[in-house]
Amino acid sequence: MTFDEIRNQAISEWDALEHSDKPCIYIGTATCGRASGALTVLEVIKSELAKHSIEAIIIQVGCIGLCYAEPLVDIAKPNRPRICYGNVTPEIVPQLVEDYIVNDNPRPDLALGTLGDGSVDGIPRLFELPMLKPQVRIALRNCGLIDPQNINHYIARGGYSGLVRALGMSPEDVIEEVKKSGLRGRGGAGFATGRKWEFCRRAPGGEKYLICNADEGDPGAFMDRALLEGDPHTVLEGMVIGAYAIGATQGYIYCRAEYPLAIERLEIALKQMKEYGLLGDNILGSGFSFRMKIMQGAGAFVCGETSAMVASLEGKRGQPRSKYVHLAEHGLWDKPTLINNVETWGNVPVILHKGAEWYSSFGTETSKGTKTFALAGKIARTGLIEVPMGIPLRDIIYEIGGGIARGKRFKAVQTGGPSGGCLPASMLDLPVDYESLTQAGSIMGSGAMVVADEDTCMVDLARFFLAFTQAESCGKCVPCRLGTKQMLDILEDITNGKGKLEDIDLLIDLSEVIKSGSLCGLGQTAPNPVLTTIRYFRDEYEEHIKKHYCRAAVCKGLVTAPCSHLCPAGIDVPRHIRFIAEGRFGEAVAVIREKIPFPLVCGYVCLHFCETRCRRGELDETIGIRVLHRVAVEHDTGLWRQNSRIAPASGKRVAIIGSGPAGLTAAYYLAKLGHSVTVFEALPEPGGMMRIGIPDYRLPKDVLKAEIEEIKSVGVDIRTNIKVDSLDELLEQDYSAILVAVGTHRGQKLPIPGADLDGVLVNIPFLRDVNLGKEVKVGERVVVLGGGNVAFDCARVARRLGASEVHMACLESRDDMPAVSDEIEQGEEEGIVIHPARTFTRIVSDDGHISGVECLDVRSFEFDQEGRVRIDAIEGSEHILPADTVIFAIGQRPEIPAQFGLTTGRGNTIQVDPDTLATTREGVFAAGDAVIGTASVIEAVATGRQAAISIDKYLGGTGIIDEILAPPEGEIALVEEAEEEKRRPPIPTLPLEQRLSSFANVELGLSEEAAIEEAKRCLRCDLEEKE
Amino acid sequence: MDKIKLTINGQVVEARKGMMVLEAAEAAGIYIPTLCSDPDLEPYAACRLCVVEIEGRRGLVTACTMPAADGMVVHTETPAVNKVRQTTVELLIADHPSDCLTCPKNQQCDLQKVAAYLGITQQRFRKTTRLLPVDTSNPFFDRDPNYCILCGKCVRICEEVLGVGAITLAFRGYASKVATFDDGPLLDSNCVSCGECVAHCPVGALAVKDAKPPTREVATTCPYCGVGCGIYLGIRNEQVIGVRGNREGVNKGSLCVKGRFGIAEFVHHPERLTTPLIRRNGELTEASWDEALDLVASKLAQYSPDEVAVVSSAKCTNEENYVIQKLARVVLGTNNVDHCARLCHASTVAGLGQSFGAGAMTNSINEIGDAGCILAIGTNTTSAHPVIGLQVVKAVRHGAKLIVANPRQIDLVRLADLWLSHKPGTDVALLMGMMRVIVDEGLLDSAFIEARCENFDAFKESLKSFDLDTVEGITGVAKDKIAEAARIYATNKPASILYAMGITQHSHGTDNVIATANLAMLTGNIGKPSTGVNPLRGQNNVQGACDLGALPDVYPGYQAVANPAIREKFEAAWGCSLNPSPGLTLTEIFEAACQRQIKAIYLVGENPVLSEPCAHHMEELKEMDFFVVQDLFLSETAQMADVVLPAASFAEKDGTFTNTERRVQRVRKAIEPVGDSRPDWWITCQIARRMGGKGFDFKHPSQIMDEITSVTPSYGGIAYRRLDNGGLQWPCPTQKHPGTPILHTRQFTRGKGQFIPLEYKPPMELPDSEYPLILTTGRSLYHFHTGTVTRKVKGLNILLGEGLVEINPGDASALGVADGEMVKVISRRGEVVAKAKVTEVSPLGVVFMTFHFAESPTNMLTNPALDPVAKIPELKVCAVRIERDGSSAGG
Repeated sequence: MTFDEIRNQAISEWDALEHSDKPCIYIGTATCGRASGALTVLEVIKSELAKHSIEAIIIQVGCIGLCYAEPLVDIAKPNRPRICYGNVTPEIVPQLVEDYIVNDNPRPDLALGTLGDGSVDGIPRLFELPMLKPQVRIALRNCGLIDPQNINHYIARGGYSGLVRALGMSPEDVIEEVKKSGLRGRGGAGFATGRKWEFCRRAPGGEKYLICNADEGDPGAFMDRALLEGDPHTVLEGMVIGAYAIGATQGYIYCRAEYPLAIERLEIALKQMKEYGLLGDNILGSGFSFRMKIMQGAGAFVCGETSAMVASLEGKRGQPRSKYVHLAEHGLWDKPTLINNVETWGNVPVILHKGAEWYSSFGTETSKGTKTFALAGKIARTGLIEVPMGIPLRDIIYEIGGGIARGKRFKAVQTGGPSGGCLPASMLDLPVDYESLTQAGSIMGSGAMVVADEDTCMVDLARFFLAFTQAESCGKCVPCRLGTKQMLDILEDITNGKGKLEDIDLLIDLSEVIKSGSLCGLGQTAPNPVLTTIRYFRDEYEEHIKKHYCRAAVCKGLVTAPCSHLCPAGIDVPRHIRFIAEGRFGEAVAVIREKIPFPLVCGYVCLHFCETRCRRGELDETIGIRVLHRVAVEHDTGLWRQNSRIAPASGKRVAIIGSGPAGLTAAYYLAKLGHSVTVFEALPEPGGMMRIGIPDYRLPKDVLKAEIEEIKSVGVDIRTNIKVDSLDELLEQDYSAILVAVGTHRGQKLPIPGADLDGVLVNIPFLRDVNLGKEVKVGERVVVLGGGNVAFDCARVARRLGASEVHMACLESRDDMPAVSDEIEQGEEEGIVIHPARTFTRIVSDDGHISGVECLDVRSFEFDQEGRVRIDAIEGSEHILPADTVIFAIGQRPEIPAQFGLTTGRGNTIQVDPDTLATTREGVFAAGDAVIGTASVIEAVATGRQAAISIDKYLGGTGIIDEILAPPEGEIALVEEAEEEKRRPPIPTLPLEQRLSSFANVELGLSEEAAIEEAKRCLRCDLEEKE
Repeated sequence: MDKIKLTINGQVVEARKGMMVLEAAEAAGIYIPTLCSDPDLEPYAACRLCVVEIEGRRGLVTACTMPAADGMVVHTETPAVNKVRQTTVELLIADHPSDCLTCPKNQQCDLQKVAAYLGITQQRFRKTTRLLPVDTSNPFFDRDPNYCILCGKCVRICEEVLGVGAITLAFRGYASKVATFDDGPLLDSNCVSCGECVAHCPVGALAVKDAKPPTREVATTCPYCGVGCGIYLGIRNEQVIGVRGNREGVNKGSLCVKGRFGIAEFVHHPERLTTPLIRRNGELTEASWDEALDLVASKLAQYSPDEVAVVSSAKCTNEENYVIQKLARVVLGTNNVDHCARLCHASTVAGLGQSFGAGAMTNSINEIGDAGCILAIGTNTTSAHPVIGLQVVKAVRHGAKLIVANPRQIDLVRLADLWLSHKPGTDVALLMGMMRVIVDEGLLDSAFIEARCENFDAFKESLKSFDLDTVEGITGVAKDKIAEAARIYATNKPASILYAMGITQHSHGTDNVIATANLAMLTGNIGKPSTGVNPLRGQNNVQGACDLGALPDVYPGYQAVANPAIREKFEAAWGCSLNPSPGLTLTEIFEAACQRQIKAIYLVGENPVLSEPCAHHMEELKEMDFFVVQDLFLSETAQMADVVLPAASFAEKDGTFTNTERRVQRVRKAIEPVGDSRPDWWITCQIARRMGGKGFDFKHPSQIMDEITSVTPSYGGIAYRRLDNGGLQWPCPTQKHPGTPILHTRQFTRGKGQFIPLEYKPPMELPDSEYPLILTTGRSLYHFHTGTVTRKVKGLNILLGEGLVEINPGDASALGVADGEMVKVISRRGEVVAKAKVTEVSPLGVVFMTFHFAESPTNMLTNPALDPVAKIPELKVCAVRIERDGSSAGG
């Protein structure tokens, strides 16, 4: 048969299929589909069809890339477009068969999209879905659409036409075409494919070899597998074209043995090629002969390196060798050898078929065409994708990938496999091309793209990748073998709390040597994850080293239980919860009291960092720790007092300026240590922001008052209405130490036109006035500018003050709003309308009366190194939010009198030694928001504790403020039934109508019984770690 | 034209094309640190210390793998380079035990050297400690992976140079380590214990057990086989404590297990003879030298020339052999002098003498590695001549075709392109068959034959009876294999033939030798580099012993006793009249002794009780009138002597050995003679003088050499001062002559090369129903000759402690013999009990034994049938049967 005859036959077979009068069912049974149960689904489909006596054509296809929706089943009925259904479990199949195939209800609720001509009501077109729309499928053009075991399907869709064209050209012209296409190696290094071919063509020697590198070994990478399983012929056709171009006689496919299905399909494809005369002697009558063989790799990652692969093919240890003699001249068995990656080969037929010009119309100046990626990690839609070169990372992650799974925040994306780099959010607009990625410290690699969210510890991630490359190093080069081991040891030390600050520089130094001193790509790139995480996430390294703190709470050496690890004050949450589970509330409170003097305040308003990584959340829902606190304190027995001690008087006097959570916490502990403590408060009431920032409906005043009374009871002298202007005076008054804890009480306005108009309010004065009982008026329609907790407080207060419409506008996107979810939820319940992603250009007025805020839509924004925001606003998107009152809630700063003589830094915060909180003045310390910027009660308490420790030490004490207040726990064990699925109890809130008419507390708390039940959900993961 | 110029650190240096930058720098005296590069090995680029910067190239490149190019500008000491080097060495140190002071490699450690060069003084990295088990299984050296820096030298040397591959790099990442095939002890691997890995290990990972550094070293020549490896004896407290290969020697620094580990122990073995012994009342009792020498002199004087014989020694120096044969001829008046060459290469001397005119290796050892084809026939090279085996490995690695013709599946078969497992004793048929193919297919070198040879037509005629069907029938080798071998040999030039006793020790050994000579001439593979017929001689100085006339029919330099002119020349030189009739050969001497025709024997350094065929008749030596044995140890033969004279070992005397490639090399005195032993030359001269012999007043062996050069034309140009740099290959007729690496280059020694027609003669004794198996004998790598010295070395006895009977599994199962079982091997002449080793190495119908072990004296079984020309016995083929040994069946 001539090729034309073959093609005609193939086309008619394909047409017959497309126009079949029987239903056609396509099911993705590549490895990914199988892993999701596709073969079971297939069986159920068959039996259901049999049950209904329906004759249908069933075709097993490869992977279309929608991994998140596996198993995928397409159904094409005569005269209907092919409909793709996702998440087709065996349970769904009977309904689907009955509803659609039997009864012609296409079930739009189960469908993902339609393929091909025509449309179905209620079902979008598949390739218009956000996941697929930005994609350009060249290498993957057939994947998921054709039967990979049927060569006719491939040929009908243009397959082998590239080869036919190539055979009609001279080999040099073929190489020229590939060169013109701009195709670069998709295996990672990105060498110009055409040039590589040219070297090999020109290398002297009659016998030449050609190798397909199918030794895909990057963790998280499955592009090559998917292509080989979904469309093996495109790879093989590419290889034959390449062989013709360079004059090779023998080809090898070096495929990892872990890909049995790919190998099986390749074998079938090779057999079919031989039958059609596309392989073997005298291919298609051209006189050109070429043979191919599949070789299986034994799973050594380094064998993906070309010279190691050659060694492995020769039966030697897979170890790279120095390439002073190029493989193109002295490769396999010392003969000229050309190695390209699966995807590179997969692109070649299209280039020859459609022409270099067409191909090079995709991509960037230097990176042409498309690139496949395996999108994995904490992404909403995992999958196999193919995108044009140059696409911004953001589009891949947010459009194609649908953003971060489970509503978490994006932290980094790791490109290029284990030796790629981790790129942070600020790099999201990076175009994905060889040069840009390299410049950013990462690599294209073969196409693994792993997304990390806020639950990922970047140090741990670097450690993970390094552990991989270390274990996979062939061991030949000293810098790689021992350097990566040393780096791994350092990283393990850091993640175990044994790191030293100089380790960071040592890691960088080692990385440079490993990169420049190693022979092959493995060593040359292995440090990338470490270098990029240091480059972009250095603070996480420092936290691990200095504070033994892992913000993602994953480093096992540091974290026994994430809840207590993440509590800034270090409350032993698991023990607290166990007491609650036993109904021993007094003991539970004692546990809290061991660390903080504001247990009930925190029960009401704590930002509960403890809950963010609760392991229970991986099962169903995190434990409601804050609400348990509140229940416990509300049922306190006062047991803690039994062990609470006050030390004899030390004779030292300490002055504390500011009576917020930081100042009072420090005061409490210093007083208990025997020091004479005086707290100076400028306002008439003590409590700082707890008193004048947090509205009553969140924190009742008597709750705060009671806890302050407790603090006073240990001898703290609080003097209100005294504004301290000079530290010198205090020092003259015989105070041995001073703590400045003045908070952030100056609200900010934006310097925009109209900011000074009447009716423009500022968050802090606004809230303070309301909280201190002053009369404050707002208009009918209030716009709050800002998206944080304070902004929500302003908005909800405004609502309670009678505003009928309250709107909020903020720079951040909806997902990135800094306010906690409770505030957002309750705020929205109270009718507050949120306008995210806006920037404000002016406040518009009408006759001196505010009429609105002019906004622009924001595409993205980032903070530069000085903390200045850079906003990418959408031009021409000006619009006005109508308003008669505008409240700025864009942050607040400390007011530090110049006479204090303290050095201040960013945001006017006081500069302190981070370890001791000592200011630049002898004997003067600072804590709270005035140091760390606006934060939460618990963070302020934590700095208060730290200040107390430092001041006590400064005064000659031990600095030990921890107490053991709770009795020892009895025998404790893991409780298996805790793992049964059980969700958080809903927390009753005040009915809406009652909320808006008063400042009554919104959250009503839990009953004792409900609290005990909730506490029993705790998995006691701290015990697991101890075992 | 092969010279290039490059600039290194601003200095213009000249280099040879093909040199790597590292070599070019080294040649120019510019030091670049490295831990993994080695001149013996291919570039590897693992340690990364030799990184340099080259202008116009990105990043750092390893100098060991970067070919030097004309005009290249190299910088070897830039900040970037030094950073990588410093950090790399710091990493190695962090991972290396810090017990330098107690490490056997202290001060000889390359890691120390490099660290010192780089000035490493800090330790930034975390100290890692590996606690891998130390492999102490090898008796001579330990392998401690905890010290290993994975430079791969041991693995590479074992693979690239030895071709053994006992060890490899295993596992990955930090777990990477050097391991045997199954990560078991080295002793259980195919390691040959040569210690090349130890010698190349840059750190303490491979170290000789209980090694101490010597205080001085003496360059000398290895006393084991005929390769003549250059060695340094390490001396400490006037004791030999170790051996190191001499890179200037023929061995280029390589050594085998015996040379490296088997010397010090025997030199200082407590069983060394330290005083003369005289048999009194049937017991050997200690005596003074005067007593013993006077007794010997007076007794020997009592016998007529026909009643006395002298057995010289291939282990003795040239000088000693000269004085021994001179004693026989001048003092005893007899030509009854011979030595063990009779048992090994007498047929070579005879056969090659007839074909070429000179009975020695035609080419040199170091040419073998460059051959295009090697035909190794009747030689188990890697066992018997291990360092020549390395040349074969080298040749194969460089693409040479290797044909192994051997009944047994010897180690070389692993490397061979073709293995011809012919039946023992069918070499003539096999070679003639090959030659028939070469002639039939026109692969012969007619021009060479025409110009350089004679008698071709008669020879060609004799090929007629060797059609391949016939040859297949005789040899048991398939026709196509024989044809293929012929084609490979004839078409891959230069082709070199190596052979040893598999060719010579036959009743038609001379024919075998002639067949090899015919083959070489037929294809023009002679007289050119890397060609030739290369008999590999067994003993360290068997060549020299022959050269110096320890033979019954020739004076030194193969000058015939029967030639009156020659005799007159020697009479003049020695100042006496000489016996005109050629004497008895070794085999004839012992036969005559048994017949009581020979009444007295003065035997130096031989152990015929184990080495002679049908050895039990050696018992009769006891009955001789007077038997003097001169040796290092009280050997099985010495135990029968009337007087035993304690000889000094090679380490205790000066002299020369002539190795298998005719190279005269120095032996240097390293220590004083052990006990009251004396050098053989001194003893012999003393006897001669006490018998009134003239011309034995030598004060030093160099004086003997002076006399040798005056009477031996081929040694005419030899003088000690000329031997200091690697020796001279004879013929070296004048003081100006540079020596002769290749014989027969322009013409053959005899003029034209003579083709000699051959016919196939079967071995004298073939299997029959009573004795159904063929016994063939040979040597083990781990022992030497009759084991007189190697059996004294503990480690060698651990590696191989007893004689084994190798038997094919087919034969074994037919006989019901299990591996490791004791069996009785019985021939028409005797029986021996030894342990069976069931192995496919032995072909069906053939059993194999070595002759090293007195406990299982193989030569009790062998056939004394002689080659009619060379009088060499047929040690390689006899008929035996095997019985399970009832006496040891208890277990």
